[in-house]
Amino acid sequence: MREFLQKAGNIDRRIIYLLILSAVAITILLKVSFKSTPLPEVKRSYDIINSLPAGSVVMFSIDYDASSMPELDPMLRAMLRHCFEKNLKVIMLGHWPLGLPLGQIALEDIARQYHKKYGEDYVFLGYRPGLQAVMLNLGKEIRSVFSTDYRGTPIDSLPMMRGVHNYNDIAVLIGLEAGSVGDMWVQFANARFNQKIILGSTAVITPDLYPYLQAGQIVGLIGGLRGASDYEALVKHPAIASAGMASQTVVHVLIILLILLGNIGYFATRRGK
Amino acid sequence: MKREIPLFITFITGVLLVIALFIPHKPFGQLQQTFNDWLIIVGGFTMILGLDSLLLHNWEKIKRKKEGWISSAFLIASFFITLFWGFGEGIFAHRSPFDPSATFLRYFYTYVFVPLQATMFSLLAFFIASAAYRAFRAKDGNSTLLLSAAALVMLGRVPEGQKVAPWIFAFVLILLAYYFFKEGSRTSGTQKTVYMVLGVLSIALIYPVFYILLHYLNYIADWIMNIPQMAAKRGIWIGISLGGIAMSLRIILGVEKTYLQ
Repeated sequence: MREFLQKAGNIDRRIIYLLILSAVAITILLKVSFKSTPLPEVKRSYDIINSLPAGSVVMFSIDYDASSMPELDPMLRAMLRHCFEKNLKVIMLGHWPLGLPLGQIALEDIARQYHKKYGEDYVFLGYRPGLQAVMLNLGKEIRSVFSTDYRGTPIDSLPMMRGVHNYNDIAVLIGLEAGSVGDMWVQFANARFNQKIILGSTAVITPDLYPYLQAGQIVGLIGGLRGASDYEALVKHPAIASAGMASQTVVHVLIILLILLGNIGYFATRRGK
Repeated sequence: MKREIPLFITFITGVLLVIALFIPHKPFGQLQQTFNDWLIIVGGFTMILGLDSLLLHNWEKIKRKKEGWISSAFLIASFFITLFWGFGEGIFAHRSPFDPSATFLRYFYTYVFVPLQATMFSLLAFFIASAAYRAFRAKDGNSTLLLSAAALVMLGRVPEGQKVAPWIFAFVLILLAYYFFKEGSRTSGTQKTVYMVLGVLSIALIYPVFYILLHYLNYIADWIMNIPQMAAKRGIWIGISLGGIAMSLRIILGVEKTYLQ
C-alpha cells in the first residue's frame, strides 16, 4: 500500500499531459456546459455599457496577441456584440501591433453581423508607437496621434469621428490586457483625464487589477475566461468562452486532484523515511 | 563629455517635464506636448533598431552555421516576404496589408502566425499542471495556507466548483484524520494525545467544512481575492511605485548612470 502511495507522488509527466489533454478535449467534444452566476465586477461592466445612450462612443484598446486570444478574443466579441446591439459607436486602436489584426478581424466580423458601416458606426485607427505618449496625446486631441485611420483615410472625413476629439468625447474606454498596458491606461487616461475605464484581462494579470477596481480607478473588470463566459451569458450569446469554461472547470478539478495525489505521495514517502 | 552631455540632457528633460506637469501654462504646457510628439517619433525609430539587431543576430547564426541556423533562415525569409508583400500592397494596390481584400497577408497572419503563437503559449497549461503536481507540497504552515487558498480560489471561480469542493476538502480531512490516528498509534504519552486530538478534530471538522463550502465557496473565493490578495498586491505596488520614483529621481539627478553603459 505504501509503495503504491509513494508512486502516486511520482507520476510520469507524460501521463499528466495526457490527462490534461483528455480533460480539455473530451469536455469540448461532448459539448459539456455549466451555468454560472456572473461575477459582480463583470455584471457592473455590463451594466455600465448597457446604460450608455445610443450614439455614445466606446474606445477599445487591443493590448494582447494570439497567445492570450482564447481568453480575450471571446471577451472582445461579446462586448462588441453588446455595443452594436445598443447602437454605440466603436473606435478601435491598440498597443500590441502583433495582436491588433485580431481586434480588426473581430470588429469587422461582428460589425457585419449587425449591418454596421465603417466610418459611421465604427472606426479602426490601428497602432502608433509611443504608448504613454499616445495615451496622453489622446487626452488632448486624437488627431495629434491618429490623423488618419489604418487605411490612410483622414479621420475628419469619417462621419463618426467629426465630433470626437479627446477623452471627453469617449464614454468608456475598454482595455483588453495581457500585460501592463492596463496599468498605463489607469495612470495616464484615468488619473490625468478622469477617463472611465473598463479592463478585460487574462486570468494571470487580473489579481493585479483588483486594487484599481476597489479604488474606483476602473469602473469594471472582466477577468479571464470566466469573465468572458459571464459576459457571453449576459449578452445572451454563449459562444467559445462558455464552451471553454467547462474545460477549465474540469482541468481545475483535475489539477487539484493531482496536487492532492502528489501530497499523499509526499507524506507516504516522508513517513517511509 | 561623452557622459556629461547625456546626463545634462536627462536632467533638463526630467526637470522640465516635472515642471510642465505642475504648471500647464505657456511655455511649459506646450513643452509636454512637444516631448510627447518626440517620444512617438523616437518610439518609431526604436523599432528599426530592434529589427537591425534581430536580423544581424540571426544572419550571424546562419553565416557561422550555429545550432538552430535553419530557424534563423526561416525567420529572415518570413520577415522579408512579409515586409515586401506589405510594401507591395501599399505601393501597387494602395491598401493596408490588413485590409480585408489584402488576402495573402491576412491568410498568413490568420492561418500561420496566430495558430503558431497560440500553440506555443497553450503548452504552458501542460507545464503548469505538471509543475503544480510536483511543487505544491504542504510542507509547512505557509505552504499549506497557500495550497488551501489556491484550491479555494481555483474551485470558487469555476461554475460547478461549489459542488466539487466540499467533497475534495472532506476527503482531505478524512485522510488527515487517518494520518493522525496512524501516527498516534505509533507514539505514546503526550504526543499520542496530541495526534489523537488532531484526528478527532479533523473528523469533527468534516461536516462544518462541507456545509460552509457547499453554501459559501464563491464568497470565500471572492473574499480571498478582494481582501488578503488585494492588500498584498497593493503593498507590493506601493513599494514598486516608491522604488520607481526614487529611481527616476536618481536618473534625473545623475546619481544613477548605469543606463549609459
